Amino acid sequence: MRRDAVQPNIVLASLFLATLVAWLGLDAVSVAPNRIVPGQGVDVLGVAGWGGMAVSISPLLVALGLAWRPTPDRLRWSTGLVVLMLSALPVWLMVAAAFTVDPDMPQARMGIGGGVWMALFLLLLALIELRTRLTMPRARGWALLLVPLASLAACLSFGLEPLALRQEYQGRSEAFVSAIAEHLLLVGVAVCLSLLLGVGLAMAMRHWPRAQRVGFAILNFLQTIPSLALFGLLLAPLAWLSSRFDWLAAFGVSGIGWAPALLALIGYSLLPMVRNTYVALDEVDLDVIEAARGMGMSRGQVFRQVRLPLALPLILEGIRITTVQAIGLTAVAALIGAGGLGTFIFQGLGQAAMDMVLLGALPILAMALVADALLGALTDLLRPGGAT
Amino acid sequence: MMRKGRSSRGYGWLSPLLWLSLLLSACLGMEGLKGLFRLVEPDSQALIYDRADFIVLLGRHLLVVGVAALLAILLGVGAAVAVTRPGGRDFLPLVGQLASIGQTFPPVAVLALAVPVLGFGTLPIIVALLLYGLLPIVRNTLAGLEGIDPGVAEAARGMGMTGGQRLRQVELPLAAPVILAGIRTSVTINIATAAIGATVGASNLGDPIISGIVNGNTAHVLQGALLIGLLALSVDSLFARFQPASSS
Amino acid sequence: MIELIHVTKRFGDAVAVDDISLSVGKGELCVLVGTSGCGKSTTLRMINRLIEHSDGEIHLDGQPVREFREEVLRRRIGYAIQSTGLFPHWTVERNIGLVPRLLKWPANRVRERVEELMALLELSMTEFADKYPSQLSGGQAQRVGVARALAADPEILLMDEPFGALDPITRESLQDELARLQARLHKTIVFVTHDMDEALRLADRLVVMNQGRIVQQGHPIELLRAPADAFVESLLGGEDRGLKEAALLPVSERMSPLGPGPLAEERIARDATLREALSVMLWRHVEHLAVVDDDEVPIGELSLRRLVGARDHDA
Repeated sequence: MRRDAVQPNIVLASLFLATLVAWLGLDAVSVAPNRIVPGQGVDVLGVAGWGGMAVSISPLLVALGLAWRPTPDRLRWSTGLVVLMLSALPVWLMVAAAFTVDPDMPQARMGIGGGVWMALFLLLLALIELRTRLTMPRARGWALLLVPLASLAACLSFGLEPLALRQEYQGRSEAFVSAIAEHLLLVGVAVCLSLLLGVGLAMAMRHWPRAQRVGFAILNFLQTIPSLALFGLLLAPLAWLSSRFDWLAAFGVSGIGWAPALLALIGYSLLPMVRNTYVALDEVDLDVIEAARGMGMSRGQVFRQVRLPLALPLILEGIRITTVQAIGLTAVAALIGAGGLGTFIFQGLGQAAMDMVLLGALPILAMALVADALLGALTDLLRPGGAT
Repeated sequence: MMRKGRSSRGYGWLSPLLWLSLLLSACLGMEGLKGLFRLVEPDSQALIYDRADFIVLLGRHLLVVGVAALLAILLGVGAAVAVTRPGGRDFLPLVGQLASIGQTFPPVAVLALAVPVLGFGTLPIIVALLLYGLLPIVRNTLAGLEGIDPGVAEAARGMGMTGGQRLRQVELPLAAPVILAGIRTSVTINIATAAIGATVGASNLGDPIISGIVNGNTAHVLQGALLIGLLALSVDSLFARFQPASSS
Repeated sequence: MIELIHVTKRFGDAVAVDDISLSVGKGELCVLVGTSGCGKSTTLRMINRLIEHSDGEIHLDGQPVREFREEVLRRRIGYAIQSTGLFPHWTVERNIGLVPRLLKWPANRVRERVEELMALLELSMTEFADKYPSQLSGGQAQRVGVARALAADPEILLMDEPFGALDPITRESLQDELARLQARLHKTIVFVTHDMDEALRLADRLVVMNQGRIVQQGHPIELLRAPADAFVESLLGGEDRGLKEAALLPVSERMSPLGPGPLAEERIARDATLREALSVMLWRHVEHLAVVDDDEVPIGELSLRRLVGARDHDA
């Protein structure tokens, strides 16, 4: 029975090893006396000395050891350790701020170094791997992330003033909040409108099969055109329209701004929406429909009680794809003055202010992930017979 | 069946050639469309974007996308193959999940995050495109390899084919349409993302659009948009030529 | 030829095959039969090492299979499965020529061999050589699968429910075809099925498996006459066993020499089965049949008493 003994989990082992290398080899933080001057990298030793380094890597070494003989119990311990390490990252940044930033220089700011970013990334991967190995439900996996998030929130409210990202935020907290609102509004309106249009189009295509080929050809064509180009191409006709029709201009339509952005977003959203709705309505198991008819259900009853509920998960999948895509595209729309979080990205790039870029990019990333997770969970919930 | 399908689907060389020739003639003969641009910018002095030749911008655009795509194909297919071999199977769940989670990352955000790490210029664009372009390729290669009829895989083993023979003669050819669809998605996204790369200092077809927006010259925006659109359609129709079956 | 000695296979804690011993002689057609999950497929796949056995030994011509390189071993053993496993991107011709090409036969010899096999399996070369598997019917695809398994002229053939997915008529004709081929080629065949009629029809040796163990093995008639336990009995069809046995015995076994009386009107061929003879009697409402040889010449007669009563004959 020796052969059945637990093999080392090489995935976890290599993830922890890589984390260790990144932690020790890359900068922990970078410190700059003000916003203009580029930051000076500080590594782990520079932050906390030999003792601090030893403390900081000890949980990693334990996790590495646990990965060697990964019984389910040890995997659960590892999960705890990984959550602990993730939660400790903000604390570590507070420690680093206390040791490296001169409190007498109010302009001084601290950026997060490559080591910490890599550790964050690799530890999240380790968490995904652990979730898979322990066959943990998706919801519990997300719940585990709440602990590090709470730790981050606590650290942000009690300290971390020198953190560059925080300073960027404090400089423009109102703009930030309204950018998020604009972003969400654009995405929401685009998704809702394209849902209505998409379902209508899909039903029409089912009704007139001849329209189907042409319809999909056009939508595919639209999807192929790069976003920047589509925004650009819409600019001229919309500008022309608003100069011709005063009521359009009064409504706020112009070559730049929200109008071309919304049009382009809807254009891109239609393909996944129509495709999923069409497939969903079309490919409900024919046997089931046949059986429903055989039992004497009317057409309307078949549609409402059988076809639609069975199609719903696929339609929701279409909404999920559309929403995630729209969140990204709205960022590009900032280039034509549509507002949203993309504004920070492009302003930051223009001013070479990297922390401002992060202030725009990180929330976009988070929004996409959260939208994906929420709509995915909703799809699972609505799937008859439970998640598959 | 697959072979027969190619000619009968009506995807000849016609449509890629058409788009390509439109693209090239638009690049070289933008002057000829002056009348059109005059309509949108009646008062502009510099009606045609002249800071660089369009053909040079097109070349740079293609170079960036091409290099990134080539590396992404090598790395992506390689990684997917590696994690489906017996030695690398342990990594399969993680890589599969990473590829599907990664697809929710907006390309612009990835591009923006690459800049603080890698700086401005062409190299960070290539790296960002490479990283982002990897995901659809890895995901589709995995789907293609995992989607092979288990009976076929078992027969290949039972007949005494070695691992390499199975990969080259059975698995890759059977997964090819799905892999190609992944490469198509990857390249389509990268053409679009590379254009946005003009904002971080890579000079390419995005340049006229960005500078047009900044300087309020709609004609320049249109010129850039037209060329990028034509480029995307040319490349996409080339893929359609080689990929007959359903791409959805 | 093939010998399994105290072979066990464990998947984790589950025991799929539990200490079985089995020996298949040269030229024998051995059928493993049992309900699904009884370990018959696992046993088959351990022979060409698609699954490695946990304990015990498997020998091929006296040599442990573990001593072969996997690929070399498998190229020596033909393998046919229910889903055919034909490569969808290759033509029929290329599919059949697979193993010979793996063995680096020269191209013209591969081509000749493919032609020979397609003729053997009654697949027209001009019609089928360039077709793709998706263009074949189930029966045709399975023929190609068998041809591919036979391509390199292996001495041993492993067949895992090869006819399981076919309709009854196609299945029977392919069973006949396999019996015909076997009469000509004398391969050593291990054949897995859950269809008892198929098993009875093809087997020289019938091996009944249940829960990873061999419950009984022997000639089909032996098993029919003396099932080891209730499981084998129910698997063999309970009350239906009489008909199953009758289907295995030829008329010539029970006929009596021509008597002095008038010849019965209804005729039956001497190599027809007793079951067929019984069916003719039931249908025609007669108790006597004239037995004729291949040239329709009467050579004996068969009465209902003799057909059903072997003991009467002994006494």
